[in-house]
Amino acid sequence: MNTFEKLQAIKNQDLKATDNLESFLKKIENNNSSINAFLTINKDSARNKAKEIDDKIAKGANVGSLAGLVFGIKANINVEDEIISAASKTLEDYQSSYDATVIKRIKEQDGIIIGMCNMDEFAAGSSTESSYFGATDNPAAPGHIPGGSSGGSAAAIAAEMCDITLGSDTGGSIRNPASHCGVFGFKPTYGAVSRQGLLDLSMSLDQIGPLADDVSGMAVALDTIVGYDKTECTSLNQEFPVFTEVINQNSEKLQDYMKDMKVLCINQFSDVTDDHINNIIDDSVAKIKNMGAEVVDSSFNYIDLCLPTYYLINYVEFFSATRKYDGRKYGYKIEDVCGEEVLRRIEMGSYISQQEFSGKYYKKALQARSLIRNEINKLLSDADLILGPTVPKLPHKIGEKLEPMEMYAYDVLTVIANLAGIPAGSMKAGEYNGIPVGLQLQAKPNGDVKIIKAMAALNH
Amino acid sequence: MIIIKLWLLFLIIGGITIDMKCGLEIHVQLKTDSKLFCDCSTNYKEAPANTNICPVCLNQPGTKPFPTNEKALKNALTIALMLNCKIDKDITYFMRKHYDYPDLPSGYQRTSVPIGYEGDLNGIKIREIHMEEDPGQFKPDFGIVDFNRSGIPLVEIVTEPDMHSPEEAREFLKELIRVLNYSECARGEGTMRADVNISLEGGNRAEIKNINSIKGAYKSLKFEMIRQKNLIKRGVEVKQETRAFLESQMITVAMRTKEDADDYRFIPDPDLPPIKVQKKQLEEVSETIPEAPHNKVKRFIEEYDIDEESAKTLTSELKLANAYEIVVKSIDPKFAAMWMRDELKRVLTYNKLDFKESEISAENIIELLNLLNDKKITTKVGQRIIEKMPKNKNSPKEIAEELGLIGVVEKDEVLDTAKKTISENEAAVSDYKKGKETSLNFLVGQVMKLTRGKADPGETVKILKELIDN
Ligand SMILES: [Zn+2]
Repeated sequence: MNTFEKLQAIKNQDLKATDNLESFLKKIENNNSSINAFLTINKDSARNKAKEIDDKIAKGANVGSLAGLVFGIKANINVEDEIISAASKTLEDYQSSYDATVIKRIKEQDGIIIGMCNMDEFAAGSSTESSYFGATDNPAAPGHIPGGSSGGSAAAIAAEMCDITLGSDTGGSIRNPASHCGVFGFKPTYGAVSRQGLLDLSMSLDQIGPLADDVSGMAVALDTIVGYDKTECTSLNQEFPVFTEVINQNSEKLQDYMKDMKVLCINQFSDVTDDHINNIIDDSVAKIKNMGAEVVDSSFNYIDLCLPTYYLINYVEFFSATRKYDGRKYGYKIEDVCGEEVLRRIEMGSYISQQEFSGKYYKKALQARSLIRNEINKLLSDADLILGPTVPKLPHKIGEKLEPMEMYAYDVLTVIANLAGIPAGSMKAGEYNGIPVGLQLQAKPNGDVKIIKAMAALNH
Repeated sequence: MIIIKLWLLFLIIGGITIDMKCGLEIHVQLKTDSKLFCDCSTNYKEAPANTNICPVCLNQPGTKPFPTNEKALKNALTIALMLNCKIDKDITYFMRKHYDYPDLPSGYQRTSVPIGYEGDLNGIKIREIHMEEDPGQFKPDFGIVDFNRSGIPLVEIVTEPDMHSPEEAREFLKELIRVLNYSECARGEGTMRADVNISLEGGNRAEIKNINSIKGAYKSLKFEMIRQKNLIKRGVEVKQETRAFLESQMITVAMRTKEDADDYRFIPDPDLPPIKVQKKQLEEVSETIPEAPHNKVKRFIEEYDIDEESAKTLTSELKLANAYEIVVKSIDPKFAAMWMRDELKRVLTYNKLDFKESEISAENIIELLNLLNDKKITTKVGQRIIEKMPKNKNSPKEIAEELGLIGVVEKDEVLDTAKKTISENEAAVSDYKKGKETSLNFLVGQVMKLTRGKADPGETVKILKELIDN
């Protein structure tokens, strides 16, 4: 049963929202202690909400477009009354007093929020090992990292603990764990989803997006969370497509979409990627070719510039964002209690942003970013999609010690979309030795719907 | 070294004053109903502590600023134009200025790049004008930070070091506050916070922080000038440093030296995309910009043929100037100027009110001056009425009637009263005859009392003198 069908079943009273919730609660009860996908579970409020929805449906009253679907939320998105710890000791007791815009929208549409998902501390990582509350296991490849930083959100979907989760993606933090856990993950165009209520990692790169195990789940989530928010200045004030309409088609029609598509494969992307992964990606490319898409090999010459640019911007913006954690309002001063990666980023950010260096590093990084953005937009100006691997290597075993640069290397293919502000998604392309491998689809700004369409077509 | 000391000695002996340079950075709250980046109210003084707050102005984790308050931007532009600034038509954006202080919930203050630059006010050059957000108020006495003020828009006005004495700085600040008052875009001296730069020839520049009034700016400059002069005289180097003004003692004390000056690590705020000041918006502001006070002074002198002193007094407050312009439509401008400058201002000063607070209208003034012109009341009665006018619902005529002061007493009645007074006060009369002038004043006072001030004082003196002398 895909998400469309489930929504219909709940509306038709073939499936009770309460039963949907209870089956997830049971899985969580059985498996969360070993997987550690959820940091907190709020059974009471979820049960009340489910009952309320069932009552409404029984009475024939109107319900929202998400009625009865169960959501897990990354622990860096504000949900009123929940502990929004960002998996840190700094905020271990921070109880939120407000709902992020995306949460308001989910609640308005009768989504049920079941709990907060584990993540890398303050989203600064690619493995979810840096959580103050312990690592998350990869349900699809036990013993391996689930990726990060939205590792809990991806693992919750892979372990079937809820219908949809929200993550945040700054340099791949949705797509990377989606790839490692073998689920769908999507980072919309920068500004398509309001960041109001999302804890900052790097404000000019952060974007909230959904994870799910089927495309229809992605579409219903996007229809809810995408849209203009007048309280958030980087939010795009424009019309957005209705994602559910686009993919709610029979499979022939979906495959027809691919006939007019021009798809780019970038040589430099496969150059930096593990061959086992490349082989699996090649299969996906062949599949899309069979559907009639025009596939063109192309070149992106700035790949070496991407990681340094990304991290310089990330360090400086993260340094700025964490100044509020000064120990006065939230219990601990961040530098006193944080993990080494968070401390590294703060210290680097503080160093780089000194007055004497501002022209040397940060401004240069912003210039490099423009260069990357222009180059990507040029590539996409006469193409619909860029197809390639999401992550260049397979996930390591939990606890294996990696040098910072080895850890950063996981991000090389995902940071580009954030630097350029373009939409990007990841879906499972196959497996190597039982470990999922993700296919990344990128499009030009506001081309989000093309990615969702292609995902739907490829999934059939 | 010896040569320098000798040179300094020469300066001191020669009585040549050391040149002083002073520049100001003035912050005043902009007049808006809501804060700069959220919808919270700005009446922080009336509201109980921490009631005008929301997650945004508390900068709780995850919150982002709402779009910049347009009224604040419009107000800042108006002020910039009134100070003859050039306006950057392109874009303005906010920088984050990082520092660590309890009143700053985000750890940084948002401050715009200059929205106006290269202006001037009475010959003092304005370097640039910014918009900023106010921090909260740290109240160590209560052990709390009150965030009601957090996020209220400020305008920051930075001058060039063009002032050469504490007096000049004081004059500039008075005039600036007057311009702000005229603009109706800012909240005035009560919300002022200033930093002052001062350097003397042969010394380094000191910055004084923590100044909250024009008087404070003047006193701190006075103190600092003497302190630096004494150092230079003794041949001690004046350090480049930041000093704090202690208002209670009217002195400045060292805060930090140049070496450990703060590095604010300015970065453009990623949450606030650049704003383009729209040409249309700028035109709108330009069209509605109020006449600056110094321009109004000039116009009043020319248009109404009044002296500079009167023009300055009448333009000291926008509402007063506006009232004057209404009054002169039906009253002789010189006559109106005399009454409004002398009598009205006297009464306002006595009552510690400004004209706006007095609730006196132009119509009230016209009515009063007409009573005088028509000789329905005497000057003396006019003065008594004007004293009763502040915060009075009754019109001057009603006040006069209420006090039984209407009407000027005819000469016959004055004559009768004078005769009566003379016969009842023989001692005073004989004192006057012996040459004691003050006794006549006493007798005049008696007549005025009996006629309830309706007698013309000049006439009364004449009549009394005639009666006694003959
Ligand atoms: Zn507020």
